[in-house]
Amino acid sequence: MLTLNAANAYSAARSAVAPGQPDAAAKVGDAAEGFAQEMARIDSAATGAMTGQVETHQLVQTIAETQLAMETVVAIRDKVVEAYQEILRMPV
Amino acid sequence: MNEHVTPLRLAASGMRAQSERLRHTAENIANTDTPGYRRKLVSFEEAIRFGRPTGEVEASRTRLDRSELPQVYDPAHPMADEQGYYQGSNVDLIVEIADSREAGRSYEANLRVFEQSRQMGSSLLDLLRR
Repeated sequence: MLTLNAANAYSAARSAVAPGQPDAAAKVGDAAEGFAQEMARIDSAATGAMTGQVETHQLVQTIAETQLAMETVVAIRDKVVEAYQEILRMPV
Repeated sequence: MNEHVTPLRLAASGMRAQSERLRHTAENIANTDTPGYRRKLVSFEEAIRFGRPTGEVEASRTRLDRSELPQVYDPAHPMADEQGYYQGSNVDLIVEIADSREAGRSYEANLRVFEQSRQMGSSLLDLLRR
């Protein structure tokens, strides 16, 4: 009886940790896309500032925004890598 | 992250508006001795985008100070009339200096808000780093 319960619990938990949920991957893809757009924005702002089309306030504002976005992405990446290493260290 | 990006945008708009104000003050000071020059006034208003207030500030259209130009007595001046008077500018240096100082202080306040907001966003992310 006890083993049956354990088996049931195991099969119930499997769906939660099953990899490859398609919409989750798509969300990560979207986030990466948004980050790339942000990077493109700072590129054009920096180029514009060099040629005098973008004023300095705009440049500083864009740089600060992009820096925040960059820090967010780096923090998330660190967390993901950390989780991956945690899994690797798991005794089998 | 929007709540950390919006203050950046607002503070930047404030700095932009104060720069504009300082620019007009500089124009006024530069033209203190220009005959017939009327001092430029700049006022601020909340920016409206797509019919909705954004919270940003912007400098509105410049107006000219309509107060009377002072009559300066100088018969040798090329623009002097028969009585020897010509119209000077209505720029008051003391007012302009005070105005520019005020613009500087407001700019600094916006700068602090900018810095503060950026720092808050950064320290929030520091929580993740440990």
